[in-house]
Amino acid sequence: MTAEIFAVKRFAVHDGDGIRTTVFFKGCPLRCVWCHNPEGLAPGPQLAFYAEKCTNCGLCAEVCPRGAHRIIDGQHRFERSLCTACGACADLCPARVLTLYGETVTVDSLLPRLLEDRAYYEKSGGGVTLSGGECLCQADFCAELLARLHQHGIHTAVDTCGAVPRAALEKVIPFTDLFLYDLKAHTESVHQRCTGRPNGLILDNLRWLDEVGAVTEVRIPFVPGFNTDEVPALAALLAELRHLRRVHILPYHNFAGAKYAALDYPNTMPATLPERAELDRAISILRAAGLRAD
Amino acid sequence: MLRRFNLDRPTIARKYHIPEEPFNPYFRMDYHGYPYDEATGLDEETMKANLADLSASLEEQPRPIHKATLFAYVLDHTRIDVNAHDYFVGIYAWGRLISPHTCMKWFKERKDAHPEAMAVMAAYGGAAAGSGGLDFDHTVPDWTSLIELGFSGVLERARASYEAHLAAGTLTPQKEAFWRGIEIEYSAILRLIDRLYRYALTKTFDKAPKIAECLHQLRSGAPRNTYEVMQLIYLYFMLSESVEHYQVRSLGYGLDDTLYPFYARDLANGTYTREEIGELLAYFLFQWQAIGNYWGQPLYLGGMHADGSTRVTELSHLILDIYDQLGIYNPKIQIKVNGSTPGDFVRRALDMIRRGKNSIVFCNDDTIIRAMMSRGATYEEAADAVISGCFEYKKRAGGIDLSGASVNAVKPVALVLDNGFDRVTGRQLGPRTGEPGDFPDFAAFYRAYLRQTEHIWTTVLDALDALEADNAGINPALMFSATLPCCVESLTDALESGTENDTGVQISGIGTGVDALMAVYELVYEKKLATLAELRDAVAANWEGHARLRAASLRCRHKYGNGDPMADHYAAAILRFTCDLLAGRRNSHGGRYIMELHAARSFINHGKKTQASPDGRRTGEEISKNASPTMGADRCGITALINSATTLDTALANNGFCLDAMLLPSAVAGEEGLEIFYALLNTYLAKGGASIQFNICDADTLRDAQADPQKYPNLQIRVCGWNVLWNNMAKVEQDAYILRAENIQ
Repeated sequence: MTAEIFAVKRFAVHDGDGIRTTVFFKGCPLRCVWCHNPEGLAPGPQLAFYAEKCTNCGLCAEVCPRGAHRIIDGQHRFERSLCTACGACADLCPARVLTLYGETVTVDSLLPRLLEDRAYYEKSGGGVTLSGGECLCQADFCAELLARLHQHGIHTAVDTCGAVPRAALEKVIPFTDLFLYDLKAHTESVHQRCTGRPNGLILDNLRWLDEVGAVTEVRIPFVPGFNTDEVPALAALLAELRHLRRVHILPYHNFAGAKYAALDYPNTMPATLPERAELDRAISILRAAGLRAD
Repeated sequence: MLRRFNLDRPTIARKYHIPEEPFNPYFRMDYHGYPYDEATGLDEETMKANLADLSASLEEQPRPIHKATLFAYVLDHTRIDVNAHDYFVGIYAWGRLISPHTCMKWFKERKDAHPEAMAVMAAYGGAAAGSGGLDFDHTVPDWTSLIELGFSGVLERARASYEAHLAAGTLTPQKEAFWRGIEIEYSAILRLIDRLYRYALTKTFDKAPKIAECLHQLRSGAPRNTYEVMQLIYLYFMLSESVEHYQVRSLGYGLDDTLYPFYARDLANGTYTREEIGELLAYFLFQWQAIGNYWGQPLYLGGMHADGSTRVTELSHLILDIYDQLGIYNPKIQIKVNGSTPGDFVRRALDMIRRGKNSIVFCNDDTIIRAMMSRGATYEEAADAVISGCFEYKKRAGGIDLSGASVNAVKPVALVLDNGFDRVTGRQLGPRTGEPGDFPDFAAFYRAYLRQTEHIWTTVLDALDALEADNAGINPALMFSATLPCCVESLTDALESGTENDTGVQISGIGTGVDALMAVYELVYEKKLATLAELRDAVAANWEGHARLRAASLRCRHKYGNGDPMADHYAAAILRFTCDLLAGRRNSHGGRYIMELHAARSFINHGKKTQASPDGRRTGEEISKNASPTMGADRCGITALINSATTLDTALANNGFCLDAMLLPSAVAGEEGLEIFYALLNTYLAKGGASIQFNICDADTLRDAQADPQKYPNLQIRVCGWNVLWNNMAKVEQDAYILRAENIQ
């Protein structure tokens, strides 16, 4: 069995407890307008071209078997339609402005990389987190990987948007110590506007996870102009959960803007960043509902 | 807290040089601060002229007496200060005025007597293959003797030994000269203290009685309280560094542990309150910020007793607290850590580091014990080991460690490519290990690398042996030796009779050296992107016209610092191979050669003179420093970096090993971030790391600081074993840090 991933981040300290390694899987059912990992949206490999920092050295044009890179009048031109994402250019690009997002892995090839930082997990109460994209789009692989991690005594977390079939959750639940559950909105129309999809399945899955006793941490991206008014309703929903241990408000940031251009995606990222006071207000609403929130 | 000190701070800031005027910290002793009372001593020009005359009249004298007489002249005639704004005294003539007539002159004579050795040093130094030379600078006196006996007691102990030798008929002319030297120097120290005391009596400001009382005690006895111990440490430091020409590489045997018995007594008997001692500590610590030497004055805290219990006390916390409040980066602090070090103490230090007060390095007691015991120390001696300098270890009351040579791990790659010929100096520097066509596989290339490495080491150390012989004759270590019981007993200089007179030697650029080897492996033998001759030509052309090969080289998979087993094991092997070369080899005064994986400035100095290397580095660019990777080559994060570094047997670097780590502020923010930071440090220690130091910064901040320096007057970067203000760094150095910060994002 194989999976398509786009990154393995070590020393991940914001994806669950302690020091962790996070695996980012390719492919996502949602299209959040603020997505900060757009390289995780498509299921297959993609070449990103960060044109701004390109030195126009032309090495990519020399190695590309399809002629997707050309130097015209001293300027690097990339023709995406010709690119097969083979990665030959990315392997050589001295300025690292060409990056291949996509790597096919097996459980056996991935596992040793995840065990390298075992000592740090042990000292910090950390472990391994599967994220994305939406990792549960590749649920069979995740289940096998998580089971193997458990055999090694590694703490596991799954970061999911919840927009996945119930069966996907059922596959991973026996081997998942913590679900990081991303909630965007309670109101369906708001959710549709934010993510392009309705949220019935997401909310149902969250309730179901709680019913079967899965420990969760909910993460709410806080995006002015989109979902900031959703916090009270979400707080009411979350207050009913029995195995929710914490709620994080994730302040929206627009650091990922460059990735959109690099992938030839239209940049959908909102312009307005949240104010500290708004964030504090949201946190206090959650706390008022009896939730452990930050 | 520090209300009084803060009023006095501006004056002390002007004690050693005037902050608003141009200042080169490399020549800190060439400057003076505010003027001292002219009636208290001679002006410097007169003193220099008189010293020249006096020295000429002493030519026939044994060198210890010659040196000591000049030392005494400076102490008897320097201008002095007892200031309303300071608890620590002032000694104006702090510019090593006697050295041109003593060690510098005698050193030159030694060099002139060994033209062959000097030629080797010049050739290898010119090629940046290995730089070495004579050094007589790294001492930590026996603080126990000094504090228990005082200056007067140290003198009397030496006198008793002299009289015993006299009675036993074992007094040789050398021993007699050594004793006379000690007598002259220590008598002069006592006269100076007496002079300061009498001067203090003429003062009417509120601090004067306390200063006078302290000096009154120190002129004839041992210190009795915390303040008197600090004054003694300060006086020893100033006189040793500035007149005797021996650096003092730690303030106390652990400043906290040294002061603690006095601190506890002072609190118990009401001599001082905790707040008063905190204030005195501020005056004490700030002296070194005002002195401002570029490498920073080291002091260490913490550590463990032989039974494993911690040496951290509430005074350790107080010292960190005061240091934090002062917001200074000099002195620099080493913290000896082990399993028993209280977590709150370590967290306090980590919290300071993440707030930018990062002139702090952690040193692992467990590794120090392994390292020291490999040097023949007993377990107790190893547990008591002193941190001396940036990261070096020493036995207490052992001897003088010399800093002998630094050998470049990148250069042998170039020498193999060019059959032992050095393109930089245009001479055959190494053995003829073969033309590029003679290496059918990487194994053959690697064997040749080791041969070139061995040749550099043996050649440089042979030359060093010749230069180091009779070191004591070059710079008699009188003030220092008198503190060491073993030297006093035998009446011989520490360089002849110390129990541990080792010569520290460094591998510089081990990370870049490995990367260069791995590039040869990958480009030539694995991927066959170029022949060895083509790679040699590309490097010789400083990569001009070889952009593609250079790109492939920069993107090689095996680079040290990424947890890559292959690269890491080569680094470990090069360290072990080099240590094996040193094993059993004696330096020319009975000590050993001990290994350091920290590089002072050789990562820059060697880099400047080293031609381009197969790892993609261009001519003149810096090479890796300490045990760290090539700047920017570590791309897999801090955990991979630590895994790489701890693949090396850190205790083989038995005189110190340091890893430089950079973290994003967001990774260590908040309560959880502090716990992450703590766990990270503990994992490094548990994996057998030695020393580690941190920069907490992000690329955006550094880029902004580069563009707009005025906004960041206090931004400090931990550079080698010391901190440098960001704004004092060259752009090329700043760029290297920005690149590294980008890689961790």
